[in-house]
Amino acid sequence: MKYVIRLSLIVILVGAVTCLSFTQEKMSKEDWQEAITKLTAKSTELKSKLDSLQKEVTDLHAQEATKVQALKQCSDELAAMQGQQEAPFVAKLDAIDARLNELSKLSNQDLWARRAELDSVQKWINIAGQDPLSVIQKYQDRLKDQQSRLDGLKKTLEQIIASGEIMPTYTVGTWARNRDCLWNIAKKPKIYDNPFLWPKIWQGNRDQIKNPDVIHPGQKLKIPPKADLTKEENRALRSYWSKRREKAAAVNP
Amino acid sequence: MKKPFALIIIGCMMVIGSFVGCSSKPSNEEMQQLNDLKTEVTSLEKGIAARESEKADLLKSIAEKDAQLAQCTKDKQALQQRLQGVK
Repeated sequence: MKYVIRLSLIVILVGAVTCLSFTQEKMSKEDWQEAITKLTAKSTELKSKLDSLQKEVTDLHAQEATKVQALKQCSDELAAMQGQQEAPFVAKLDAIDARLNELSKLSNQDLWARRAELDSVQKWINIAGQDPLSVIQKYQDRLKDQQSRLDGLKKTLEQIIASGEIMPTYTVGTWARNRDCLWNIAKKPKIYDNPFLWPKIWQGNRDQIKNPDVIHPGQKLKIPPKADLTKEENRALRSYWSKRREKAAAVNP
Repeated sequence: MKKPFALIIIGCMMVIGSFVGCSSKPSNEEMQQLNDLKTEVTSLEKGIAARESEKADLLKSIAEKDAQLAQCTKDKQALQQRLQGVK
């Protein structure tokens, strides 16, 4: 009896499980129908969107082709306006680039030795900037870049001088031609651009300047880095003026 | 003695019923149709993504060409003025 009951329960269980597994594995006809309807609607919508996009893309291709044509025409006209002048102008810019590349690779010592070349490169850049072709944006950009590189080299030179790594020299000219005295030398824009700094040159050259009122043509004076006068330099200045006053008093008692 | 038999009969009916009830499924052809439709939708979605990407590239390229054209026109005018000034 128990056996029969157990058997009947097993049969019920098997039936339930079978039904459940069938339900999970395969979709029903209704689900299929629903999925087909949804997918068909989606497919129709996507086809319509794709067609619309395709049309837009075709239009854009046509627009792009028109722009390319217009750009080519403009470039040709610009080239015709530049005529034969473009090649020599570009050659000038290339030469400036080459010189800047060379100067950029130099050591501080070598850069200092060839510092005069920076002025010539500056002249080339200025001349190129006056060329009519320099108004063209790509050349303007190139000239700007070159100027910026040159300014960098000039700054490096200033730093070399300021650090005292290299001390520039100045060869004294004649009074008749150059009006060279310590005051005037310090006043020169390329020296200190400030005549009141003359004691700096004096103190930097004590070995060859005994009296700051007397310097000789051909003397090579070291030019210390530009800075405010030091305590020693101020002391020397006071002493100089004191001696001058004493001398003046002796001459005109 | 009747109860167990009744249970067996109920069980058998459930098994048969479940087979009959669950057997209302789409045919293989219908499932193939569904799968084909799914593939088509996927392909359409890919096509749309490709076109959208192409459209974006084209818009970018057109904007670049516009900028280049504007610059070229500006250069032309500036050069013309400068050349006239030089003459």
